[in-house]
Amino acid sequence: MDLPAGTRNYTYAQDMAIFRTKTHWTLLIGLLVVLCTAPLWWGNWLSVANLIGITIIAATGLNILTGYCGQLSIGHAGFMAVGAYTSAILTERLGLPFPVGLISAGVAAGLVGMIFGMPSLRVKGFYLAIATIAAQFIIIWVIKHWTDVTGGHMGMSVSAPALGGLVLKSNASQFYLIGSIAVLSIFFAKNLARTRVGRAFVAIRDNDLAAEVMGINLFRYKLIAFFIGCFFAGIAGSLFAHWARFISDEFFPLTDSILYIGMIIIGGLGTTTGPIFGAIFIGLIKHSLTHYLVPTLESSAIALPAGFASGLAPMVFGLIIILFLILEPRGLAHRWQLFKAAYRLWPFSY
Amino acid sequence: MRKKTLTVLSGLMCLVLVATLLGACTSTAEEPGTKAPLKIGMSTPSTGVAAEKGAPMGHANVDCIKYVNDELGGVDGHEIEALWLDNGYDASKAVTIVNRFVDEDCLLFTVASSGMMTAMMGIANENELSGFAAFSSPNLTQPPQHIYGQTPDYGDDWAAFAKYYLDNIWKGPGKPKMALHLLDNSTGAGARMAAEAGAEDMGIELRDKWIFEHPATTSSETTSLTTLPDDIDVLYISSTPAPTAIVIKSAVELGMYPGMTIACGHAGFTSALVELAGADIVEGVYGVYPTVGWDDDVPAMAKMTEYCQKYHPDDYGNMDYIISWAQSLITVEILRLAVENAGADNLTPQVVEAQGLKKLKNFDVGGLHGPVSYTSGDNRLSKSVRVFRIDDGVLEPITGWVESPFISYE
Repeated sequence: MDLPAGTRNYTYAQDMAIFRTKTHWTLLIGLLVVLCTAPLWWGNWLSVANLIGITIIAATGLNILTGYCGQLSIGHAGFMAVGAYTSAILTERLGLPFPVGLISAGVAAGLVGMIFGMPSLRVKGFYLAIATIAAQFIIIWVIKHWTDVTGGHMGMSVSAPALGGLVLKSNASQFYLIGSIAVLSIFFAKNLARTRVGRAFVAIRDNDLAAEVMGINLFRYKLIAFFIGCFFAGIAGSLFAHWARFISDEFFPLTDSILYIGMIIIGGLGTTTGPIFGAIFIGLIKHSLTHYLVPTLESSAIALPAGFASGLAPMVFGLIIILFLILEPRGLAHRWQLFKAAYRLWPFSY
Repeated sequence: MRKKTLTVLSGLMCLVLVATLLGACTSTAEEPGTKAPLKIGMSTPSTGVAAEKGAPMGHANVDCIKYVNDELGGVDGHEIEALWLDNGYDASKAVTIVNRFVDEDCLLFTVASSGMMTAMMGIANENELSGFAAFSSPNLTQPPQHIYGQTPDYGDDWAAFAKYYLDNIWKGPGKPKMALHLLDNSTGAGARMAAEAGAEDMGIELRDKWIFEHPATTSSETTSLTTLPDDIDVLYISSTPAPTAIVIKSAVELGMYPGMTIACGHAGFTSALVELAGADIVEGVYGVYPTVGWDDDVPAMAKMTEYCQKYHPDDYGNMDYIISWAQSLITVEILRLAVENAGADNLTPQVVEAQGLKKLKNFDVGGLHGPVSYTSGDNRLSKSVRVFRIDDGVLEPITGWVESPFISYE
């Protein structure tokens, strides 16, 4: 881990600390102040922030699976659906408290993920991607056709999350819940990467044959990666269900699974900050275009061809993603590292 | 190279920031002396898999509100401020949109599709924000809460066509055999629920293995159609125009059509269907639709045609434009009733629902579709449909208004 000039570590605790300098702590405190006061001044962006928070949790899970362990999954929205429906069924049909639904959602999605992760012992890369696409289709098919339990196409109503007697109905209250879980997820992912398990994941990603020769049990660690990655997806799915108050199969399309891959690539594969950058970047583009740019252009006095403004949104969205992949294939996290390096050396950049 | 990369990336980041900040620039301060605007939300899938329907519907919403504000002076002097947002037929996006409608104190909201209203109704019902969908399905209105259907739902379409078919087309002995091809969401599920509930009583043979589902992105349905027996009499499709066109094309390719009757629910029965499939392919296809056609001489037609041809000429001839123009006229009437009954200063979403929406009684939408009324326990605002047939590429009405009976699915 690179250190800012003049910074020394004298103890193991210092060496392992995530926040090491005064600047780190200042930035952290500043960020926490911004997040804690967000409901006061973010207005109608809070619901977008909640969705982005949920996306960060899901993308962090996918980053563990794909970014760290190298197991490509294109079924992440399906695993989210498992979590969403598990939580909805447990809380709405069986009357269990939300925290039980939340944890069960993660466990259920993790277990389903392990089942679909089993082919990972034999296949990898694009072949594994196909296997996980199958997960997406199978899960959604089950949701559509197991109508007695899931409601099928008609979906299920889901109540607001409640912690004890506290019902978190508003976007503001849910912001704190989703934000807290997102922070915990990121913290877990950051630490996981520094453990024996995390190092095994990286070894498998970099060269699975060499990893096996070194004594890493590939099957075991790949399944662990699937469980953890899908556990995060399940937690995100549960939060999504209780945030949207309604779920149906349409909330978890294949395009979302692909978009999650896009997010971690744009953010930076195999980095802790990557999923955060990716989810925020994609979320802001998507919702800025929807909520502001397109309506503004549609209602502007400029004589635009019919449908131009609406058509602009997917074009701009696609263009930005393509440009990013061409110009910064290592993601925003890499750009952030370059910025930090330049900041540390400034004004002596060479 | 590195500098260039940095410049482009910085540009991209700026674009995101500018788009984000545009929101702050779009709000306008109220001028002294003017009456406060009445804010409503509107959302259509103007992009995405249902864009062929959503785009003209969004245009009609915006054009009609412009007409009301510019030529009628709004509602009792209050300009209508329509917050129109494209949901892209993306359920997650739809949830953020309905949250925004709630946060920005919209008095009510309208949505084009049942699928997106399904995504929005949890938040809307919880916040008692009333809204109505141009195209509805039974799950929106049953049990009745704060969501309404502008027109009869997809189940009603099936019932209306089935009755018409038995009375006017079916001449054979015994029961006609019917197959269903359904979009895999509430659009298809509505028709399925009605068919499964009513087919036997009406004297129609319907089997599970004759019911197919397709995604909105389907590119061929020859595989599903080949599993049907040769003696199927009627194929009923409840889907959006693009998949409907695919199903009919596949039936033609397999030589099944015109050997049997094909009919569509109103979500797929529009001029876009003719454009997508080709006039010769869909010749003779029946459809159910809840509005008049563009050639009908009804009071609201002249102004609607004028605005359509002025602002969105490509939409002329598309019946989805008509239904959304009517949707906006109903919205205006609801606001007018609410202002009249409760006063403009006292309007909240709850007041608008109680004193506006629930006071609708035989409101004539300029003849564009059947009269609009609220009946306690039945959240369908209009209950009439007409049966059409495609002749020479034109959707021609072949019946007058047919009242759809209330079917309870509980």
